[in-house]
Parts: sequence; C-alpha cells; structure tokens
Amino acid sequence: MTTQTSQPAAVAAGRDIRRVPGIGGLALGCAAAVLILLWVGSDGYKQTLVTSAATYALIALGMYVPYLMAGSLSMAYSAYAGIGGYAVGLVSAKTGLPLAVAWLVGPIVAALLAVLLGLVTRRLSGFFLAAVTLLFGMAFTAFLIDAEALSGGSGGLGNLRPLNLFGWTPSHYQMVLGSAVVVCVIAFLLDRLRLSPWGVIVRTMRDAPRAVEAAGVRVPVLNLVALALGAAIAAVGGGLFTYSAGSITPDTFTLNIVFLAIFMPLIGGAGTPWGAVAGAVIAVELTLNFPAIETSGTLLLALGVLVIMLVAPRGVVGYADKLRTRGWALLRKEPDRG
Amino acid sequence: MAEEILLVGRGLTKRYGGVTALSEVDFELRAGEVLGLVGPNGAGKTTLVDLISGAQAATAGELTLRGSKLTGPASRRARAGLGRTFQYPQLALELDVRANLLLGRAARRHATLWQMITGAFVGALRPTGAADGAAVRAIANELGIRDLDREAGDLTLGEQRLVEVGRALGQDPLVLLLDEPFAGSDARGVAGIAEVIHTVRRRGHAVILVDHNVDLVARLVDRIMLLDRGRVVFDGDPRDCLASPQMQSVYFGSDADDDDAGDGSPKAEVQDVRS
Repeated sequence: MTTQTSQPAAVAAGRDIRRVPGIGGLALGCAAAVLILLWVGSDGYKQTLVTSAATYALIALGMYVPYLMAGSLSMAYSAYAGIGGYAVGLVSAKTGLPLAVAWLVGPIVAALLAVLLGLVTRRLSGFFLAAVTLLFGMAFTAFLIDAEALSGGSGGLGNLRPLNLFGWTPSHYQMVLGSAVVVCVIAFLLDRLRLSPWGVIVRTMRDAPRAVEAAGVRVPVLNLVALALGAAIAAVGGGLFTYSAGSITPDTFTLNIVFLAIFMPLIGGAGTPWGAVAGAVIAVELTLNFPAIETSGTLLLALGVLVIMLVAPRGVVGYADKLRTRGWALLRKEPDRG
Repeated sequence: MAEEILLVGRGLTKRYGGVTALSEVDFELRAGEVLGLVGPNGAGKTTLVDLISGAQAATAGELTLRGSKLTGPASRRARAGLGRTFQYPQLALELDVRANLLLGRAARRHATLWQMITGAFVGALRPTGAADGAAVRAIANELGIRDLDREAGDLTLGEQRLVEVGRALGQDPLVLLLDEPFAGSDARGVAGIAEVIHTVRRRGHAVILVDHNVDLVARLVDRIMLLDRGRVVFDGDPRDCLASPQMQSVYFGSDADDDDAGDGSPKAEVQDVRS
C-alpha cells in the first residue's frame, strides 16, 4: 500500500525536476565543482589549476555554440580569449575605469570581431573555414607582438590593478571560487539554450540548413549570431584568466588552447555543454598536473582522446549517463527477484 | 463563390546551362484551393516548387502572393507565407520529433536579427513555453504522430515526411508546398497528410501537392496541373485530367491507375476532400 502511494509521488517529483530544464546538469556540475574546490583547498598551485580549467572550460563552451550546435568550426578562439584578456589589461593600464568594465567591453569587441570574420568567411565551411580562422588567430598573435604601443609587445601588460567590484576586492581564493561559479552558470545557461527554440533552430541549421531557411530564418545571419555569442563567452574566459593572473602576454592564449578546446567536448561528451567543462578539467589535469610524465601531458591527452573515442564515443558524460541508465534498469529488476 | 487569388506565377522559367527544366509556366492559386502537380520524373515538378519557395532562383518569370511581389531568399518568402516540405526530408536527425515539429513555430519568432540576438538570451532564461508544447502536441495529434521523444534519425522515411509536413504546418502558411509527401508513407501516413490538406483548406489557405501517384493526387485536389518536360500540358479538373489525351501521351498510354512509376506510393483509401 505504502509503495503504491509513494511511487506516484516520487514519479511526480521526478517530473517536477525535469520541468526545470538543465537542473540535473547544474546539480552534478556544482557537486563536481565543490569536490574539486575541496581537493584544492589552500594549495596555491592547485588554485591556479582551477583558474586554468575554468578559462579552458569557457573557451570550450564558447566553441560549443557555433561548433557543436551550429556545425561551423571556427578556430579563432585564441584571439577571442586574447581580446577578453587584453581588454582587462588595457582598461587597467591605460584608463582609470573600474576593471569590471573590461569584462563587458572584451566580450562585445570579441563578438563584433567574430561577426566581421564571419562575414569575410561566410562562403567557407568545413576545412577551409577552420584553416582561414586558424590563420586569423595566428595573425592576431603577430599583431599583439608588433603593436607595442597598444599591447606592450611580446612582454604584454603586467602589474594590473586588482579586480574591484563596487568597493570589494576579492582574494585569490575568492577569485578561484568565482571562476568556478561563472563556469557553472554559463554551462547551465547554455544547456538551457540548447533545449530552447533558439537552440532547436541553431541545431537544425547544422544538419538541415535548407529546412531552417524554408521556415523563415536567414541561416547566414543566425550563424553570425552564434559565432558572436561563442566569441563573447571565450572573451569572458580570457578576462577571467587575466584578472586572476594579473598579467597578459601574446603567449597566454595560443593555438594550442584552441586545439585542446576542440577535443574537450569530445572527451567530456558533445551532447551537453557540461561535457565541454568535464573535458576542460580532464585536459588541465592531464596536461598541467600529471607529475609522473611531466612534459608528455599533451601526448597523454591525445592517447586519452583516442581511448575515449573507442570506448565511449559520447564522451565521459555520455558514458556516465549510459551507466546510470543501466544502473536504474538493474535496480528496477531487483524487486521482481524478491 | 469568387475566392481571393493567393498566389500567381507568370512565365516561370529555369534553365541550367543549355537545359531548360521549366519553361514559361503560368498558374493561379486561389484561397482554399488544392492544386495537384503531376508528371513523370524530370518533368519540372520539384523545380517549380523550388522556384516558388525560393530554394532556387528563377531564370525568368515572377510570383505574386496576395498582390505583392514574392522575391528574395527562401526565408523571406517563408515569412511572407510559404511553407514547404522536401523531396528528401530535411530534418535535424539528432533531435527528437518534438524539437523538429517546434522549428516551424519557433522560426517565426526568430525572423529578424534583433529577434535572433534576444532569442538567445530569452532561450537561456526561459527554454520551454507551455504554448509551444501544446501547439506541437496539437500538430502531432492531427498527423497521427504518437511518439514525440524519438530521434528523427530513427524514423522511417514515411514518418520523417509526416514530421516535415507537421513542421511546415507549424508555420501556419498561406500556401503549403508538399513535395512528394506520400513516397514511403503507409496508409496511416497518407491519411495524416490528407487531414493536413483538409485543415489548410479549411483555414482558407492553399496547398500545392506534388506526387507521381496521379490516382492518389486526383482524389485529393481541386485542380491538376500536368507537367511534361518543363511545360504545362494540362490544367484543369482532376477527372478530366485522368481521361485527357495529354495524360495518355505523357505516360505513354499506360493506365494512370498503374503504380509502375516505382515510387512506392501506397494505394490507400483516402476520403475525397472535395466532398
């Protein structure tokens, strides 16, 4: 009797949870973030790792929108993150404005540049789009080194003012905490965006652009909006890193990060933005914090990607989801036997 | 009853290099009318649908929808009131049926650049709307689509066509262009699509129905246009069309009831919507 009445209640509760789209991912993401922060504790090096992972995660989340949702692989993300970083550096070095302003200006400039680059490359797709945008990323690094008056040349911009939010200056640990929160919030919002009408249109654009066009949405224009949104998110990541590091150089965001960011969703699982976040954490752990093999971290990551592609084609998050489904199925069988 | 003329085509022509796919096609479509477009492979049926919907640019000719010129890319024409399906279904195969059905409705709210930008923020904050869900369920019911959670890639070709028709219906088009909707459909699919045609006509809108299966089309439409090698060779009552000498000559004297065209269209019992 009690099971009969409690079961529908449990099912109803389950439905209520599902009614808030993306809440399950948020809960798991926050739980993982708390575990990581507990593991970090007061260890300065580990705190830097978290900031790096958060930055990587934001770059990968930025690429998630145009690449995995809309299906166009733009590789200029080192430049977009760089713009976010240099916005912080320039506001600190050249103006007296509060540093937080840069966190608004950087993403807007990056988004506008993404639109410009998208307009120039609008007839390209696939490999050629990737190649041209990759060249743009390299050209941007060269520009930063040459434009010494603006960017401080290869030495970059250092000794930046600390971030000050309405009179409150966060400590280093609070910055670490804050970066984890920013990542969780953006991943959560993107997860919801994926399920929204906007997300449905953008994801249809990838497989069936003719259908989107025939439904009344101008595909090239929506593609530009997706590129701009992705660039803005990457710039948020670049700004975050620069606040935390207190300096920015042309070498801070290199093509290496872009290649890692392409693989992060594959490692973590392309089905949800949280996969990109999981991939970023794994990538940082393997490339920066693997004491045994030190410099072979990237090699290890490459091997890891291969293994994951073979064992779990839907990434770590997808694999975990599969295990969870199987687990449920096993649990449900249990009462039948008894 | 003099119904309003919805869509007019004048001198529609399409040439690919030296090949003329469509030559000087004129037609008129009235409100509440269902026009059948038949003809053998390569007659120019899909080309005409593409020229109307804007998927291809016409070499010559012009279109008018409700008195105003219909020009520009497919998206602009869709916003003006055209909806269409494709000969080869264009669905987001990794998305479920619900999302694919939602597209037609959602697209209307993301037409301008401003709507596309704000839509991203609105979408992140409020992903699902109750009105959208109800509208999608209503369309699914009408078409007889039962499982909304299946991925479109797992559907049969006939089911995919049904979803495409539903997506186009979500746009609430003035003119619905159905390009071979019956190929690969079972009797239930045919009945669902016949129901949609009925609904669109009841709203006072119009349908252009393209199919090989002349017998089936004749039962569903008010008027038939027979195309042969890019030209209109018959335009009139479906019953007259079946018996016309043009029909006999286009199909080389074969019985129009014959299903030898090999398109796999089923011979389902469909109620005559004209009754």
